[in-house]
Amino acid sequence: MRGLLRGTVKRTESVAPAAPPIPMYLIIMAAFAIHLPLLIKELPLASYDANFHIFFASHYVHHWFNPWNLKWFAGFSQTTYPPLPQQWVALISRLIGLNMAYMAVQMAVIVLLAVGVYRFSLLWVSPRAASFAALASVFLGSESFLVYSAGQLATTSAAPIYLNALPFLFQWVRYGKWRSFVKASVLFTAAAAAHHATLIFGSFFFAVPVLALVFLDRGDDESASTSGVVARTVTIVVFVAIAIAIVLLPFWISLIRYPVTQTPIPHASRANYILSPQWGMNYFVVPYGALILALPFLVVRGAMVPRLRPLLFGFWLAFLVGLGGTTPVGRVLLGRAFEVLTYERFSYWATLLALPILGSITADLVDRFHTRAIIPLSLLAAGTCALAVSWSTFHPADAANFDVQPVAQWLNRDGHYDFRYVTLGFGNKLSRLAVLTRANSVDGESNSARMLPELTKYGGGALTSSKYYEKAGLDSLRAMLHHADHYGLKWVIVRDSYYDPLLHFAGWRQVDSLEDKTITIWSKDGVPPAVPMNSEQIPPHWQGVLWGTLPFGSSILAILVLLIPESRDSEWDEDDTSVAQANLLSGRTV
Amino acid sequence: MAKGILIAVSIGIATVLLIVIGTIWPVSTAVFFAGGPGLGGSASTPIAASRRLANEIHQHALAKAYSSLGNKAQFTEQEFVSDLTGSTLSLRTYATLDTYEVRPLHESANEAEIALRMHWSTVVGTFEETRDLHLVKNGDHWVVDWPLVKKPVVPPQVFAVNYLRWDVIYRGAGDDWGSQDVDAPHVRIIDMHPVNRAEGVVVLGELLNEDVVPAYVSVRATLLAKNGSVLASEDSFDKISHTLLPKQVTPFLIRFPGVDISQIASIRMDPISVLVSASADPVIEVQNQKFNGPPAASLNGQLSNQSGQIVNIAHVLTTFYDKNGQLVWVAGQYIDRALLPQTPVDFHIPVPADLAKNIANERTVVASYRSGSSD
Repeated sequence: MRGLLRGTVKRTESVAPAAPPIPMYLIIMAAFAIHLPLLIKELPLASYDANFHIFFASHYVHHWFNPWNLKWFAGFSQTTYPPLPQQWVALISRLIGLNMAYMAVQMAVIVLLAVGVYRFSLLWVSPRAASFAALASVFLGSESFLVYSAGQLATTSAAPIYLNALPFLFQWVRYGKWRSFVKASVLFTAAAAAHHATLIFGSFFFAVPVLALVFLDRGDDESASTSGVVARTVTIVVFVAIAIAIVLLPFWISLIRYPVTQTPIPHASRANYILSPQWGMNYFVVPYGALILALPFLVVRGAMVPRLRPLLFGFWLAFLVGLGGTTPVGRVLLGRAFEVLTYERFSYWATLLALPILGSITADLVDRFHTRAIIPLSLLAAGTCALAVSWSTFHPADAANFDVQPVAQWLNRDGHYDFRYVTLGFGNKLSRLAVLTRANSVDGESNSARMLPELTKYGGGALTSSKYYEKAGLDSLRAMLHHADHYGLKWVIVRDSYYDPLLHFAGWRQVDSLEDKTITIWSKDGVPPAVPMNSEQIPPHWQGVLWGTLPFGSSILAILVLLIPESRDSEWDEDDTSVAQANLLSGRTV
Repeated sequence: MAKGILIAVSIGIATVLLIVIGTIWPVSTAVFFAGGPGLGGSASTPIAASRRLANEIHQHALAKAYSSLGNKAQFTEQEFVSDLTGSTLSLRTYATLDTYEVRPLHESANEAEIALRMHWSTVVGTFEETRDLHLVKNGDHWVVDWPLVKKPVVPPQVFAVNYLRWDVIYRGAGDDWGSQDVDAPHVRIIDMHPVNRAEGVVVLGELLNEDVVPAYVSVRATLLAKNGSVLASEDSFDKISHTLLPKQVTPFLIRFPGVDISQIASIRMDPISVLVSASADPVIEVQNQKFNGPPAASLNGQLSNQSGQIVNIAHVLTTFYDKNGQLVWVAGQYIDRALLPQTPVDFHIPVPADLAKNIANERTVVASYRSGSSD
C-alpha cells in the first residue's frame, strides 16, 4: 500500500491556499465501514456470478496445477477464463473457507479500487479532488452493482489493478523512468491475469487518454519529445503484450484452438434501455445512480478544462458503449463481438473514468458551499450505494433461495456419481451444487468454456435455465436429453415442473424426490456410466504448470515491485503546475 | 472557453442523436428484448394492426391485447386469456409465441380478413396455430375482431370407472430405482424398417410388450458400417409411447441425421424394458380418423378422454401401413389443449407427400401426461 501511495504522480498546488485532501486511511475506513458488514453477511452469494467464481476456485483448491475440470460440460478447461482472483480465493479458502475467502478477496478489491482511483485521479486533478474521487469510488453504484448483483469478481479485480498501473504508465512514457516501466508492466500483466477483457478495452478507454495527457503535458520537457514518447509507448505495449502472452499462454492457446463460434446468447445489457425500460433501470439507473444528475456537469467540466478532455472522451466512449443497444455505437465499434460481450462492465469503466472529473466538481462544491454541499452530496452518494446494494434484493438473480446440500448428498451416495446429471430450474445454484458434489454434469455456467455442440448450436444459456431462453434454450435441452446415453447422462434433477412433460414423453421416469417433493429426480434406463470425454481439449501438463504459476506469480510480483521505493525526482515533482492551474481555472467556471 | 463549450454541446447533441437513432432504428438484439419487430407500431393498416396484436401476444401483454380488440364486448378478458393459454394446465399454459406470419386474405375499404399463423414454442417442441382475423376500420385505424374458440362446457355427471391397474412393490424405501429383483418384462420388436430421407436415415418400427405386466420401454438403434464400425447410435426419445400395458404395441421412430442408407451394413436394435406401476386409465379414444391423400397428406381425427380426469398433455403417435400391412411411416403430434373428460379435441398429423400414396391404413396410439402423476 505504501508503495502504491508513494508511486502516485505528485501535483503541485496553486498559489491559492487549498484545503487538504481526505486522508487515504479515512477513505479505506469508509470502504470497510460500508462494505465489510455486507460482505460478512455474504450478500454477494446471491449475485449472478459469485458462485461461478467460487466453483472455479474450488477446483483450484484441489487441482492447482490441473485446469481440466470434469464437473461441467463433460469436462472443460479452466484455462478458458483468467484465473487470478479465483486462485486467490482458493488460496485464502484454506484458512477461512471458500465463501469467506471470496468475500475477503472482494473486500481487498474494493480497497484497492479506492487507492487506484486516487492514483489515477491524481493524473488529472488535484490531490483533494482525487481524494473525493477515491471516496466516491466507495459509494459507486456500478461497483456495488457488479459486486452484489452481478458478482463479477474478475472485472472488479482487474480494474483497480489497471488503475494503479496507469500512473506508472504515465511516468514511464513521459519521463522514461525504468522503475515505472517495471511497475506498470507487472501491474498490467497482473490485471490481465485477473480479467483479459479489462486490459483489452481498458487500453482504449483508459490508456489512450493517459497517453494523450502525456502529449498535452509535455511542454518543453526534453525527455518527453514526440519520438521519445512514441518509442516508450511502443516499448511498453510490446513488452506488456509479450508478458501477457506468456502469462496467459494456455488461455490464448485455448482461444485459438477453440474460438468462440457458438450462437450468441441473448443478454439484456444489449437491450435499448428506452424501449426496454426495465433493463434501463437495471443497467443504467442502478449502476449510475446519482451520477446521472452529474452527467451534464461532468461533460461541461471535462470539455472546459483542456487537460480533462482526453478523459472526457474516454468516458464518453465507454458511456455510449455501456448503453448497450440504446445507441448503435457498440454495434458499429464491436461488430459481431457486440453479440458476445455484456455491457454492464462498460458502464462500470465509464463511471471509473468519470470519477476524477466528479472529484474535481465535488471538491469545488465542498470548498465553496461547505456543509450545504456536503450534506446533499453525502445523501446522493449513500442513496446511490444503497440502491445498488439493495438491487440484488429487489431484482434477485435467483428468486428462489433453496439449499442444494440434499441434492449434493443424493448425488454423492450409492454410486449416483458414476453418471452425469443435469439440473433444471436451479438458476445459479448450479455452481453451488457443483462445488458440493463429486458428480459431473453436462451443463455449466461458463459460456466461453462450453464446447458440446448441444450447448453451442442453439443460442441458449445454461440448460438449467432453458425455459428463459425460449425456443433456443429448449431446443438445446432436448438435444442434450436426446444424447443422454452418449454423455452418460442418467439423472435430471428438477426444481421446476415446467420441464416434467418433456421428461415424461422423452423416456425419463421420476425415481426420487427431495426437500418435501420440491425437487424431483428423474432417471433414464440403459444409460451407460459416464466415461471421460473431450480428451483432445485437455491441456497438457506443462500448460497446467504455467497456469498454476504465472498468473498468480504475476500478482505476487506486482506486490513485490510496488515495494520498490520511488526515487525523488525534482523534475517530476515540480513539473506539473499546468495541471493545478487548469484545475484552478476550471474550478471558477462552475 | 468557446472551444470547451463547443465540445460540451457537441457531445450532448451527439449523445442525444445517437440515442434517437438507436431507438428509432434499434439493433436486432434491442428489438428482440423490446418484444420483436413492429413493437408499438401503428394500426393504420390491417397488416400493421394484426402485427401489433401478435406482438402483444408475444410479450404476454394479454390485457393490452384484449383492450385493443374490436369485439371485446363479446367475451371477457379471462376468456381471451384462456383461449390463448388454455383454461387448464396444458402445453399452451407455458407456451411462448416464437414467430408469426400474417397473410392478407381479403381487404376492402372498411373490412379485411387476415390469416395469423402463430408458431408457439413449448417444452416438448413447437406447434402451429392459424387464426383468421376479421378487421374493421375504425376512424383512421383498424381493430381486430378476435375469433374466440368457445370452450365446451360438459354437464356435471358421475360415471363409474373400471380399469386395470398394476402396482409394483419394491424391496424397500432405500432401493435404487432400476435395481429390481424381478426380470424385465419381455418386449419384442415386431417390425423394423429403415427409410432413407433427405435429412438422413429414419428407422421405423413397432415394439410389443408380450409380457403380462406393464413395461416402461425405449428403443435404441445402432447403425453399423460394412467394416463393423458404429456409424451412429440414437434412441427413440419421444417418438414412442414409453409405457406399454400387457400386449400393447407402440410404434417408434429413430432419426439419424446426415447418414445415408448406402453407408449402413446392418442395424442393431436394443429394446429396453423395466417393470413399472401402470394403469389403463385414462382411456383416450381415437375418433373420426380420416386420412387425406396427397398433396397435403395428413391424418385428421379427434381424441376423446373417456375417463373422469383431465389429461394435461396428449401425444398422438400413428403408424401408417401400405396395403400389404408393411410399415410405411410413423408420425406424431402433441395436443396443445388439455383433454377434458368427454370433450373431443381435434388432431392433425401431416404425412410426407411422397409416402402418402403408399398408405392404405393406419393405427393410432396416445401417450398421456397428467400433472402431478408420476405414472
